[in-house]
Amino acid sequence: MSRSVPSSEEHETQSAAAAWGGFDEAAFDRLFRGSAGDVHGYAVSMLEDPAAAEDVTALAFERLYRSRSRLDRRRGTPRALLFAIARNAALDELRRRRRQPTDELPLEPSGHGDGSDDLEQAERRATVRGALATLPPREREVVLLKFHGQLSNSELAKALGISESNAGTRLHRALTHLRETSLQSEQQEVA
Amino acid sequence: MRVVPFPSAEVRAQESAWLAELEAALSGEAQGPAAESWRELRSDVRALAPPIDPEFQHRLHERLVRPVKQQQPRRRRVRSFVFAGAPAIAAVLIALVVAGPWRGSASRGPVTSAASTSLTQSSGGASSSAGKANRAIPNTTRVPPAVVQPEGGVTVPEARAKAGPEIESSAGANATPEVEAGAAASGVVEIPAPAGNAAAAPGRVQQTSASLTLGTSAAGVQSLADSVSRLVVSDGGFVENSQVQVQQGGSSEATLTLRLPSAKLSAAIAALGRLAPVRAESQSLQDITSEYDAARQRLADANGERSALLLAIAKAPTQEKVEVLRARLAQTGREIVRARAALAAETRRASTAEVGVTVLGDMRASSEGLTLHRGLHDAGRILLGTAVVLLIAAAVLVPLGLLIAALLAGQGALRRRRRERVLEGP
Repeated sequence: MSRSVPSSEEHETQSAAAAWGGFDEAAFDRLFRGSAGDVHGYAVSMLEDPAAAEDVTALAFERLYRSRSRLDRRRGTPRALLFAIARNAALDELRRRRRQPTDELPLEPSGHGDGSDDLEQAERRATVRGALATLPPREREVVLLKFHGQLSNSELAKALGISESNAGTRLHRALTHLRETSLQSEQQEVA
Repeated sequence: MRVVPFPSAEVRAQESAWLAELEAALSGEAQGPAAESWRELRSDVRALAPPIDPEFQHRLHERLVRPVKQQQPRRRRVRSFVFAGAPAIAAVLIALVVAGPWRGSASRGPVTSAASTSLTQSSGGASSSAGKANRAIPNTTRVPPAVVQPEGGVTVPEARAKAGPEIESSAGANATPEVEAGAAASGVVEIPAPAGNAAAAPGRVQQTSASLTLGTSAAGVQSLADSVSRLVVSDGGFVENSQVQVQQGGSSEATLTLRLPSAKLSAAIAALGRLAPVRAESQSLQDITSEYDAARQRLADANGERSALLLAIAKAPTQEKVEVLRARLAQTGREIVRARAALAAETRRASTAEVGVTVLGDMRASSEGLTLHRGLHDAGRILLGTAVVLLIAAAVLVPLGLLIAALLAGQGALRRRRRERVLEGP
C-alpha cells in the first residue's frame, strides 16, 4: 500500500528506506530530518509531556542507530521501525509513570500543519481534540500512530506488532469512533 | 478477558474497501469531499501536537549523526582488518586441509603422525670398543682398528689375524700362515653405518634395521610388492621373505623382509617411500661391536693355537708326540672354520640391513597419492566429517535453540503484554 502523504520529507524518508540494506550515515541523516518532528509529535500526543516526548524521541533514534546492524529489511521500513521503537518507549514511559494518558489533552493547538489560524479551523481542531480525548487509549494510539507516523497499514501493523488485518480493523474502528464523536460534538455545538 | 468478535467475510470486505479509500485519500490519490475530509482530519490531529523544538532537534541531530560520521573510520578499519585477515585465515584453513592429520602422507618425505622413528643402541655389555678389543688380543694377534669412512660409515679391516710371529716349519721353510679371518676375498670388509643415521658412531660395528608400512589400494598390493622386490634387487639386496595376501573386495596386505647393504639403507627407504605413501616408518640400530670383537678374538685365538701347534709339531721329539699334536691341530682347524663362520656372520649382520616392508591395501590407501581421485576422495572425507560434526552439533543445538527461541518468544510476549497494559482501561 502506498504511503499516505507524498512530500519532500516523505521522499527523503523513502530514500532512507531504500538505503535500508546498507544503512549508512546519509540514510540515517535523511531519516532523522524527515521523521524527528513526526516522532516527537506522536510522543508528545501520547505522553502529553514535551520533556518526556523529547526523551522518547532521542531514545527512539538512539535505539534505531544501535540496532542498525541487526535490522532486517523484511521486517519493515526504517520509519516503521522507528515508530515501533518510539511506541515502545512511550508505553514504557507511561508504565513508569503509572498513569494512563489523560482524558484531556492539555496542550494547545499549535497551528502546526496548515499554518492557518482562522476561527473555523480552530473550532474544528478543538472538536477533534475533544473527540480524540474520548477515544479509548488503544484506539487513540492507533490514530496517533497512523497520522503522526504517516504509516501505511502494513507498516502500522508492524509497528503495533499485530497482523495487517487486525491493524486495519483497529484503525477502522478507531477512525469511525473519532469521526462519529467529532460529528456528535459538532451537532451539539450547532444545537 | 476481553472478547473481540471475529469479523465476518462481508464485514472484512467492507473494511478492506474502506481502508483502501482511506489510503487513497491520505496519499492524495483520491479527490472529492470525502478524501478532503480525511486529509483535513489528519492535518487536525497532527496540528494538536506542538512542533518539535528546533534547538532540541539540532542538539539531537548533533548527538546522533556526528557519532555516526565519527564511527565510520572505525568501521572501515574493522572492514580492512577483515579483508586483510581473510586471506590469512583462508591460508591457514587450506594448510589444515592439505596437511591435516586426517591425511596420509602424500609421498615420501616428512612422515605422518602415524610414523615413528626409533633408534635403539645396545652395547651388548661385553667389551664394546675396537680399542678395547685390540688390547684384549694377545700381542701375537693384531687387528687393525676400524676406519671411519667419509660418509660416516665404518670400515673394519678384515680381521687379519696373524698367527703370531712368522712360523718356521720343521723343514726349515719360512711359513707365514696369515689366516684370512674375513669372508671377503678383498681382505677388507666394509661395514657402513646407515647414511644420515645420527646414532652411528665412529669405530663401532652396528646392525641396522628398518620397517616401513606403505599404503595403496587393495588391487595395487601385488604390483607394489613386485616393485619393492625389483627395487631391492637393483640396490644390491634381496628379498628374504615375502608374503602377499590379496582378498577380493576386501583389504589386502603384503609383508616382505628385505636384506640390503647397510650403506644403501637410507637411499632404499627413500626410494621405497616414492613408490607409495608411507603410513609408518621406523629405524633401529643395534651396536654389535662386542659380538664382532668376540668372534674376531675367537678366530685369532684359534689361529694362534694352530701356529703354536705347527711349531710344536716341528719340534716334537717323537712320532707319537707328533700324532697327538696333529690330532689337536685337526681339532683346532675345525675351530678355526667355526670361528670364521661366526665372524662372517657378524660381518654380514653389520654390512646388511634388514628392512621389513608391510604393504597395506585398503580403501583409505586408495585415496592417497597426488591424484585428482585422491583429492576428490579427501574432499569427500572432509565433507563427510564436517557433515557428521554438523549433525552432532545440530542434534544438540536444535533442541537447545528451540527451547531458547520459545523462552525468548514467551519473554517477548510477556513484555509486550506488560507494556500494553497501560493502554487498558483503568
